[in-house]
Amino acid sequence: MSEVTESPGRISHRFEIRPDLGLFDLELGAVWKYRQLLFFLAWREVRVRYKQAALGVAWAVLQPVMVVIILSAVFGVFARLPSEGLPYPVFLFAGLIPWTYFSEALRRGSVGLVGDAELVKKVYFPRLIIPLAMVVAPLVDLALASGVLFVFLAWYGIWPTVNVLLLPVLVLVSMALALAVALWLGPINVRFRDVMHTLPFLLQIWMYATPVIYPLSMVPERWQPLYRLNPMVGVIEAFRWSLLGMGEVDVAAIGVSLAVISVVLVGGLLFFRRMEGSFADVI
Amino acid sequence: MSTLALQVRGVGKRYRIGARKQADRQGLLHRLGALARRSQTDDRTFWALQDVSFEIRHGENVGLIGLNGAGKSTLLKILSRITRPTTGRITVDGRIGALLEVGTGFHGDLTGRENVFLYGSILGMTREEVRRKFDAIVEFSGTGPFIDTPVKRYSSGMYVRLAFSVAAHMEPEILLLDEVLAVGDLPFQRKCMEFAKEMQRRDAAIMFVSHNMFSIKTMCERVIYLRRGRVVYDGPTDEGIRLYEEDCRTLSQESGLEGDGRLTVTSVEVLAEDGTERHLFQYGERMRVRIRYRAHEPLEAPNFIVAVMRADDVSCCSFSTEDDVASRPVVDGQGVVELLTPPIRLVAEMYRIFVLVRAKGFQDLIAVHGPTPIHIAHDLYDTHFGVFHEHGEWRWLDEAGSAVRRAASDTSLTR
Repeated sequence: MSEVTESPGRISHRFEIRPDLGLFDLELGAVWKYRQLLFFLAWREVRVRYKQAALGVAWAVLQPVMVVIILSAVFGVFARLPSEGLPYPVFLFAGLIPWTYFSEALRRGSVGLVGDAELVKKVYFPRLIIPLAMVVAPLVDLALASGVLFVFLAWYGIWPTVNVLLLPVLVLVSMALALAVALWLGPINVRFRDVMHTLPFLLQIWMYATPVIYPLSMVPERWQPLYRLNPMVGVIEAFRWSLLGMGEVDVAAIGVSLAVISVVLVGGLLFFRRMEGSFADVI
Repeated sequence: MSTLALQVRGVGKRYRIGARKQADRQGLLHRLGALARRSQTDDRTFWALQDVSFEIRHGENVGLIGLNGAGKSTLLKILSRITRPTTGRITVDGRIGALLEVGTGFHGDLTGRENVFLYGSILGMTREEVRRKFDAIVEFSGTGPFIDTPVKRYSSGMYVRLAFSVAAHMEPEILLLDEVLAVGDLPFQRKCMEFAKEMQRRDAAIMFVSHNMFSIKTMCERVIYLRRGRVVYDGPTDEGIRLYEEDCRTLSQESGLEGDGRLTVTSVEVLAEDGTERHLFQYGERMRVRIRYRAHEPLEAPNFIVAVMRADDVSCCSFSTEDDVASRPVVDGQGVVELLTPPIRLVAEMYRIFVLVRAKGFQDLIAVHGPTPIHIAHDLYDTHFGVFHEHGEWRWLDEAGSAVRRAASDTSLTR
């Protein structure tokens, strides 16, 4: 304990504690003040994930490679799914990468509050920090896996075009969607752990309802409008377009994705804020 | 007059009882609907706090006392923004440091160094701030050589010390302290007290929750006494503690113990071995309990019992004339009987002494008196060591069970 003088960047000071926040008071200022906690929680997730594993971070590379090999064998070799003229493993890998990030972000974002129950019960911070940190953390895995993907593509003689510049935007969109859904599932999971148990099935169904292992063209024409309501359809398609130059940008699909995401996200924020006050009491 | 640190106005906190059970019965969907609508019908509710108002100025040290379930922890949780009040307003002016439990948020797989940064950010410190204070934190904790070891390999003492020293460097202007903090070994406890005094010197407002009136007395000049969620007293410490102890007494009288009235215990004095009146004993001291009574009819060998209960109602030990073969064949009229206890090995805490008189053979209850509060003090042995602490004898055996003869090197080590 050194000096008591004003130290730079302190959090706090004068504030009021009230029973309820206004409906639209999202306290985003507080989230901003605690942004370093967001960083540290995300960083903790990454650190802890590969600690005490002999191969360490290599797992972030090995895992997607293994999945690509297994799924390519099953769906590419045996089931002979079409892949729009591309080698099936390339087609698969390019869809699997955003999907894996999305499903990890959604899963961790939804169960994160309960995973950090001790923190929620004992320490104050804007609770929004937890789902935020949880959707940020898998970005590291995504970056590593993308590195593998580029090597993989080069091996197949596919070189990225200017279109890859769109990738960060697409990652942001999947992050927003994962967060949006997690903001709904997280608070429910605090009260009903059923969410935790349902989530693996939900994610599996969602994956099969998204063109990850098969091309969009396999979906019957008359089902397409309904199918495209799934915001991940637009994201995955755009991912393949920006990486492989496959197909064309489906503006309508992206538009639908963005619209659905915005609605779910705003609703999720309001729902989360509303439930937040009682987390410590029921968790 | 210094400025207000905390201003609490009309704060209440309502909990719903049995909400979970209902959820199971009504099914998930129904419940979710109710959740979103905030429907409170059917739910039985319970006010953990009601209409609580007080102010604390910078530089004030206030003890928060009350029996179990009086709402102390709820109040601390509200002040530290972990949970929201149901009614009321609180204005906070200053950086709040809430130490309700040290080390929450530490992660076993991370090293000491990594945890310092993580825990610091959990407590609301910025990275630069932690970096600036890092050396001081490590030095204060005394975990220097292990700072790059995962904390799951730390002893629990090291773990707590490191966490506490992060917290101690947060320089809060308002400090909320829970008594659970008083863990760890003696040098560390001393550090905690030094830390609290340092905070006092720096004009921090401190709110301290404890069941231990002894530490309240040493730390606070003012107490707020909560009874069933309401503030029933707010003022100088001594008077507050007197009220609290009175309530403890009433509570035990409400326990329904009542004698049949054939004998009255007129007074109970607790004395030191030398006969002076005392309420604070050091661990290992002997204690005299002098009981004055008046028997209203001749009683055949009544059994006088002195029972010692800990503040949290753990029955610790008892002495009885019958057990110690000290009963009198007949007791009648006025008299005095005195117990000299063996050296008291109970750990440091507040205790209550009850005197009971039973008919021969531990049967009918004739009279009850008490409680008389006493404190036992020791620098180290507290309830974490158990109810009492006594040194044992140890010896080393070989497989066959015979004593191992000490090797010369062993002897040289111990001598």
